[in-house]
Amino acid sequence: MMPATNPPPAIVDGRDLTRVFPMTAGAVTALNHASIRIEPGEYVAITGPSGCGKSTLLHLLGCVDRPSSGSLTFEGRNVARLSEADRSRIRLTRIGFVFQRFFLLPMLTAWENVELPQAEAGMARRERRDRTRALLEYVGLAERIDHRPSQLSGGEMQRVAIARALANRPALLLADEPTGELDDDTGEQIADLFDRVHADGTAIVVVTHNAFVSARAARRLAMRSGRIVEE
Amino acid sequence: MPQLVVIVSALVVAAASAVGAAASSAAPDILVSRQLAESAHLHVGDTVTLALDADGKGRRPFRVVGVYEPTPDPMRFTARRIEARMHLPDLLGITSARPDADSIDEVDAINVRLASPADARAFGAAVMTRTPGIVAQPTARARDGSDPFAVLERFHFAIAIVTVLGSTAFLLALMVMRAEERRETVGIVRLIGISQRSILLEVLAEGLLIAAAGALFGVLFARATEGLINRFFQWRYDTALVFVRVTAGIALQSVALAVPLGIVAGLVGSWTLLRRDVVALIRR
Repeated sequence: MMPATNPPPAIVDGRDLTRVFPMTAGAVTALNHASIRIEPGEYVAITGPSGCGKSTLLHLLGCVDRPSSGSLTFEGRNVARLSEADRSRIRLTRIGFVFQRFFLLPMLTAWENVELPQAEAGMARRERRDRTRALLEYVGLAERIDHRPSQLSGGEMQRVAIARALANRPALLLADEPTGELDDDTGEQIADLFDRVHADGTAIVVVTHNAFVSARAARRLAMRSGRIVEE
Repeated sequence: MPQLVVIVSALVVAAASAVGAAASSAAPDILVSRQLAESAHLHVGDTVTLALDADGKGRRPFRVVGVYEPTPDPMRFTARRIEARMHLPDLLGITSARPDADSIDEVDAINVRLASPADARAFGAAVMTRTPGIVAQPTARARDGSDPFAVLERFHFAIAIVTVLGSTAFLLALMVMRAEERRETVGIVRLIGISQRSILLEVLAEGLLIAAAGALFGVLFARATEGLINRFFQWRYDTALVFVRVTAGIALQSVALAVPLGIVAGLVGSWTLLRRDVVALIRR
């Protein structure tokens, strides 16, 4: 008889997740009893109309926010019980973020933007230098390392954001409308880059309206009114 | 007391006659204040006659042997220092020849410089004991609260406190506004996992640098402008009195106040962002 082997733990496991935002005009339920499990190496696309709770779900998966109810674990740790410092550490070392508006630090160069999370994680200077150079080459920006975000195009800024997201070798890359501010051709290039990141072993969850981006994911979820309605 | 130099009050010298044309080798020496020399066009070597009355009764000739800058007196800085200094026997010689006991011109104050200033209190007590009716007191500031400048100092202290409180409130409001301008930046760095501790350390270093630079600038500005302020008021009141002096103690006090206040204001401003949710910071 073969010994039983435990399956590898999910990166994120959310069950019955609800997120309610208290407002002066009345509470708003952005996420309503949604369950999702992201395995290592998965490529998941989440689609749905604006305001259906996609970004709220992404914030929960990224340990940026905490659910009002339901259980959420990240690599086996209960997110609801983690302190802000612990969640911050998880975001720094285990999760990469890519957003529609890039969210690069405008006063830093491309190189410095990519190097910053590594420095915060305590990586040695030489290792940081090698990793930053490798990442900027990986996203095709080896020639633009000294440029600030204002000197880069939208596609280039998103590449820098992807390089930054990968800086500490995260297990999970979360992307919220990564092609939302890019033209189709540039959006295709970013989607190609995601394919490459996924092929290199990083799990990806992408929230998108873009059909050709969602088409590349192995698993597609549709959301409506705070619920996952289709898989 | 030949070692003493006596200052004759302005009233005495106001009665001085015109400059004598011929020098008299027998005339005793006097020093005249710069202001008197300028107003009466006196020069070293001139002979003047001094009398208690304007009509010149009992006048005596004196030879100007020097012009001096009167010791600044904050109690009389608006007064014109029309003064002369002469040896005490010469002063007594003039005043003893006083023809009219009811004359309004009189010596009402004599400043005595002691060889040892530390003896001032004992000297004053001795004078008052021997000559009832004479008030003799040191010119050094009293410590018993009777010093009129103590009130002025307390007033300045109150103004300083109000200024510091007002500046602190202004600085806090400014830092909170500046922090709000950096809302998205703080949101981004928190989003990618930079810890609150790292952000606070960064703010602390930034606040320290800015506060230290600001304090240094303030001290240098004060040092640079004190000369201008002093020169203006010295010109305005024709005095050598120093109106503003930024001492090392004042500079250190300013830095010691400004640097912690700047740091605290920076931390308070940043804390308004650090206590908010990351999502709230990056939301448009």
